[in-house]
Amino acid sequence: MTHKKNNRGFDIIRILEKVEDGLLVSLLLMMIFMAVLQIVLRNLFDSGILWADPLIRILVLWIGLIGAMIASRNNHHISIDVISRYLPKQAKKVSTLILSIFTATICGTMAYYSLVFVQMEQQDGQIAFGVIPAWVCESIIPIAFAIISLRYIILSYTCAKNIFTRTNQ
Amino acid sequence: MILFLVAILILLAFLGAPLFSVILAAAITGFYLSDIHLSVIAIELFRIADTPILLALPLFTFAGYILGESNTSGRLVRLTQALFGWMPGGLAIVAFIVCALFTAFTGASGVTIVAMGALLYPALKQAGYKDAFSLGLVTTSGSLGLLLPPSLPLILYGVIAQQMNAGDQVSIEKLFIAGILPAILMIILLSLYSIWANRKEPVPLTAFSYKKARKAIREAIWEIPLPIFVFTGIYSGFFAVSEAAAVTAMYVLIVEVFIYKEIKLSQLAAIIKESMVMVGGILLILGVSLAFTNYLIDAEAPMKLFAICQRFITSKLVFLILLNIFLLILGAILDIFSAIVIMVPLMLPVAISYGVDPVHLGIIFLANMQIGYFTPPVGMNLFIAGYRFNKPILEIYKATIPFMLVLLIAVLIITYWPWLSLVFIS
Repeated sequence: MTHKKNNRGFDIIRILEKVEDGLLVSLLLMMIFMAVLQIVLRNLFDSGILWADPLIRILVLWIGLIGAMIASRNNHHISIDVISRYLPKQAKKVSTLILSIFTATICGTMAYYSLVFVQMEQQDGQIAFGVIPAWVCESIIPIAFAIISLRYIILSYTCAKNIFTRTNQ
Repeated sequence: MILFLVAILILLAFLGAPLFSVILAAAITGFYLSDIHLSVIAIELFRIADTPILLALPLFTFAGYILGESNTSGRLVRLTQALFGWMPGGLAIVAFIVCALFTAFTGASGVTIVAMGALLYPALKQAGYKDAFSLGLVTTSGSLGLLLPPSLPLILYGVIAQQMNAGDQVSIEKLFIAGILPAILMIILLSLYSIWANRKEPVPLTAFSYKKARKAIREAIWEIPLPIFVFTGIYSGFFAVSEAAAVTAMYVLIVEVFIYKEIKLSQLAAIIKESMVMVGGILLILGVSLAFTNYLIDAEAPMKLFAICQRFITSKLVFLILLNIFLLILGAILDIFSAIVIMVPLMLPVAISYGVDPVHLGIIFLANMQIGYFTPPVGMNLFIAGYRFNKPILEIYKATIPFMLVLLIAVLIITYWPWLSLVFIS
């Protein structure tokens, strides 16, 4: 029973990863295409698509945050590794546990408050470009922090399990 | 209480916590203590989408990763060797130029050592250079070219300086112009050192061959236009930097995937992912730092810092000396992007108060950081070189130190002779 449930959990994670990968690749290709199209239109035809520039700028944010989500799959974020390089194995495990709980908490807090921000924007009802409201563009912020937080919760769990089973042996 | 929190955060950072989470925690604490609603952090983060120049970051990074994955490095080495290999100091100088160009496009993420080093290290040894010399040269060159366009750290410095309202005098274009002479100075000093270091056993020169040159040019014919149109496009003002980035990304994609066919479409997704994970890491740190910086400015931190500095440091000269020392240490422990994002907001107002030109500060900052890449004991490129060439780290230290001293001289000249950076702007 638990085994089956675990499998389903892994399935959800795998689907999420596929979605992230797919989004990232298509958004980047779209960004390159739109940016070049704008240059061509501007220089050769002296025109341009009105909503292209804001769209491209929002794509930068989305690509960045999705990239950051993927980076947290295996704790691949930029960090200082001056001390951790020299820590003994067991101490390193404990420090990883503490650090991932810390990161999960901070990102969780950020996810909550950016959700509040997005809700306020939704009530404001501003339009970012074309027919797309601003809050839709901003919604990636709480989503990204929620998922990063989730990944660090999972990491803390595996760390804790790892430490626990080791001391039991 | 505040000091205690700061100490904890610094400890967490040094233990290896993701830097973005440390900065975010600092911002959350700061805003919370001054009774500002925390959703302001999300508003600040959204400013990433309000900064058009940032478009250049993912696009140039993507182009750089594509170039790193294809055989551009090989073609570039053969081309430069065919054109400049006959000069005294031949291959060593070729190596510096090639690495500088390659790093400017790929960013100093270690790609230069991995891709270029793999070609240059055996080639240098085969040409008769000593092992330690070759090893040191390749390790040092891994961060050469940070000051040349379209280097990402230079762009990032410009972005931050503009956010700081240091005026529009810090345009990316100006930074790109300011970096040229300092970069050339570094290459010249390194080349002179190479000739001097090998004076006792001169390496035989290869004669110039039209046949080889023609072959190398034909081979690289699709890549030769790349630096030309990026440089001339940006310097002539025909392209904005982000436009140059878009054209570069598209051009590189077409050339490497469809003309040279060295990157399969199936590999493309993996390359995009890898490069954008790096961009994501940088942008996330940038985003949360925008928020934290805003808090610091609200709390008048730069002004307080300046007041403290003024009590101990009275002259611009002493300030610059301390700046050099501080940046060298910083560069060894912090990666260049985080260092820029975290330190520039604090440092820039102080430096301006001491009469340092903000463009000049950018060049000083990056020149120091460049050395930090291979400052023992923890410079990142030392480990990459040790891993790549399978050498003990101590041997890498020893091999790199002479080159480091040469570049230190270059950094001192760059720092105390602003003319070198500022002559073409104003």
